[in-house]
Amino acid sequence: MPDVQALVNDFVIKLKKRKIEGSLATAKHTAELLRSVISHQRIPYTNQAAALIDAVKAVGEQLIAANPVELAVGNIVRRVLHIIREEDLSLTTASIAGLSLSAVSDDEDDSEKDDHPALSAAAVAAAARSTLRPPSLQTLLEDVPNQASVHQTSSSGGDSEGKSKSADKSSRSRKLKHDVIEAVNELIQDIATCHEQIAEQAVEHIHQNEVILTLGSSRTVLEFLCAAKEKKRSFRVFVAEGAPRYQGHLLAKELVTRGLQTTLITDSAVFAMISRVNMVIVGAHAVMANGGVMAPVGLNMVALAAKRHAVPFVVLAGSHKLCPLYPHNPEVLLNELRSPSELLDFGEFSDCMDFGSKTGSPLLHVVNPTFDYVPPSLVSLFITDTGGHNSSYMYRLIADYYSADDLVIKKRPSTGS
Amino acid sequence: MWWRSASFILDKQQTEGVSKQPETLSISPPVDESSMADTFQNPNPKISAYYQSRASHTAVVTSDWLAQAQAAVGFPTDEQLLSEADVRDSESGKPFCVIDEFNNWRKQPDLAEAVAAIRSLAAVIRSSQATTMMELEIELKKASDSLKSWDTTSISLTAGCDLFMRYVTRTSALEYEDFKSAKSRLIERAEKFGEISCKARRIIAMLSQDFIFDGCTILVHGFSRVVMEVLRLAAQNKKLFRVFCTEGRPDRTGLRLSNELAKLDVPVKLLIDSAVAYTMDEVDMVLVGADGVVESGGIINMMGTYQIALVAHSMNKPMYVAAESYKFARLYPLDQKDMAPALRPIDFGVPIPSKVEVEKSARDYTPPQYLTLLFTDLGVLSPSVVSDELIQLYL
Repeated sequence: MPDVQALVNDFVIKLKKRKIEGSLATAKHTAELLRSVISHQRIPYTNQAAALIDAVKAVGEQLIAANPVELAVGNIVRRVLHIIREEDLSLTTASIAGLSLSAVSDDEDDSEKDDHPALSAAAVAAAARSTLRPPSLQTLLEDVPNQASVHQTSSSGGDSEGKSKSADKSSRSRKLKHDVIEAVNELIQDIATCHEQIAEQAVEHIHQNEVILTLGSSRTVLEFLCAAKEKKRSFRVFVAEGAPRYQGHLLAKELVTRGLQTTLITDSAVFAMISRVNMVIVGAHAVMANGGVMAPVGLNMVALAAKRHAVPFVVLAGSHKLCPLYPHNPEVLLNELRSPSELLDFGEFSDCMDFGSKTGSPLLHVVNPTFDYVPPSLVSLFITDTGGHNSSYMYRLIADYYSADDLVIKKRPSTGS
Repeated sequence: MWWRSASFILDKQQTEGVSKQPETLSISPPVDESSMADTFQNPNPKISAYYQSRASHTAVVTSDWLAQAQAAVGFPTDEQLLSEADVRDSESGKPFCVIDEFNNWRKQPDLAEAVAAIRSLAAVIRSSQATTMMELEIELKKASDSLKSWDTTSISLTAGCDLFMRYVTRTSALEYEDFKSAKSRLIERAEKFGEISCKARRIIAMLSQDFIFDGCTILVHGFSRVVMEVLRLAAQNKKLFRVFCTEGRPDRTGLRLSNELAKLDVPVKLLIDSAVAYTMDEVDMVLVGADGVVESGGIINMMGTYQIALVAHSMNKPMYVAAESYKFARLYPLDQKDMAPALRPIDFGVPIPSKVEVEKSARDYTPPQYLTLLFTDLGVLSPSVVSDELIQLYL
């Protein structure tokens, strides 16, 4: 599959050079790339799901390494892995059910079968299902196989001899691939339409004559505000300009063209204006597992101001921004320092930034971080495409979207988790 | 040695007499006690006599655990207990007694309370003459109730019994089998639970490694096997960190932890319990174990945890809890006093006048808003997830 490798390399280079930025674009590209990886992957007779997972993991590792700050890439890789596991499981349970109906015990589908021959198909299916579930108290005493679920469930049909079954097998392998691609297509669709689903909820949150504050520019926020406007709500929007990239200017322009009352303020005026504001609505770069938010720089300040004045701080985030990792030192490790040219014009401070001066190091440093970390306690509400959630509820969404085995993406998980 | 619950000591006392004293002495720091006693008599003018006498009191380890044990069980302890057990024995007409079984298991230092509880319930199954699942269930229920009422202060014991009972009554894995195999399966699962418990500690240690970064300072309170495991693994992973141990009065479990950590070559500093706020600005995170994790997501732990949590919260330091998931208990304490009292007398070294009241509670409740995250074998959870898990299990 040289063409796929070329695609991967191409995307890796784009990520490295920051040609593709923003969680939406990267998420979409990642999903599309993984779809082509899956469709080009040759599937062996045995361990079909494992082969797919290995292929996706191998690619995923490269992509994540290319730009670790762009968390959406890792999220999508994990989502796709979860999809593969789920599809495989549903196929396995279906096939077990079918086999037991015909009363043939010709397969050694699961290792549990050997241990407990008395177990019926339903019990096996239940056990297999429990392997996908996140660990819970419920499963603490029940014997869940500890090894990766893939090897157990995906070996179905592999051990059995018999030529008569090969036709069935190949159809099954094609079916798995087909189902997975179908599901990934759905995922791509979801990513593309997440704005609309979030915007649909706008009227529930924005009321007549309210004052909304936002910082910088986010497409989700724009659509959200416009959706409320379309539903004949009249309200005012304060836009903080979002230095140093001044994307707030673009948002303000866009809002004005859509006929919304807009006020542009500097970032430093947020505290001055916050007492008049009814609600802060912002977009996010990523939402971490503890409910903390990686957001454009300046938002922590806004969140603190909102907290101080008891103004609800609402974060809009599509589900592709949900990251199952916990932030460790996020201000440094998950941040990106951009070029100083956004702050200073070329040559402006050239004398103090000169490396050739006496001490050998420049006197003036320019630090231009891209992101802020907003701790979960400052966020009042998350609005995702599935509805509004509290920050303490994020773990549940994450349990729905990701499987616990995929949190660490390495080809050979030596540590395992 | 440290013991999770007071009642163990009671048994130890029954079996071994008061041979506890030298052992406890060995954990105490090498303080010249005779000189302390001297200074108590004639106070050194350079040192405050008040604090000096306090130091001397704490350095002399008395059998306070012993006394605590008696207080925890209630007053007329030994005889009543024994007779109670006898009565139960004669009633059931069997030589087997759950509580004795439990106490035997409890004596193993590395065995968690819940494991001991489940093993003793397994012993009930083994010795039971029931012929139907229903009979067995009733018998188990009786046994677990008597275990629970025997030591109401041990949360892990209650949680372990509940967990196993739930497994017996509700699990689907038993529905397909005949009685014999179901019985053996139950026993097998119970035996395996010890492994599960050890595995849980390893998982917790692994999960929490990400949170311990190079150069960090960790404050720990009391002795917890899970916390020890976490720190041990971090030391093995060549992380560079420093540990502050509180003393953990009155049973001084912090001393033991500091000894163990010193063996691992981890830089460790001992604090008196009241120095927590003083040192908090140097601390990067607080890591404690838990006797029990309650439904609100808060924890019940050794006395002093709550105040550490309050200090950490006010200084914006993360407070992490390491606890195995079988410590999740179906309790919902509303405040500090809303728990079964777990008392232990505290030895102040000097006779306390009978008019002076002493706060003897051995544990406190830390509400969930002061906890940052819980490291459990189910994953790294925020406090609100705990109630979710418990509801899923018992609803």
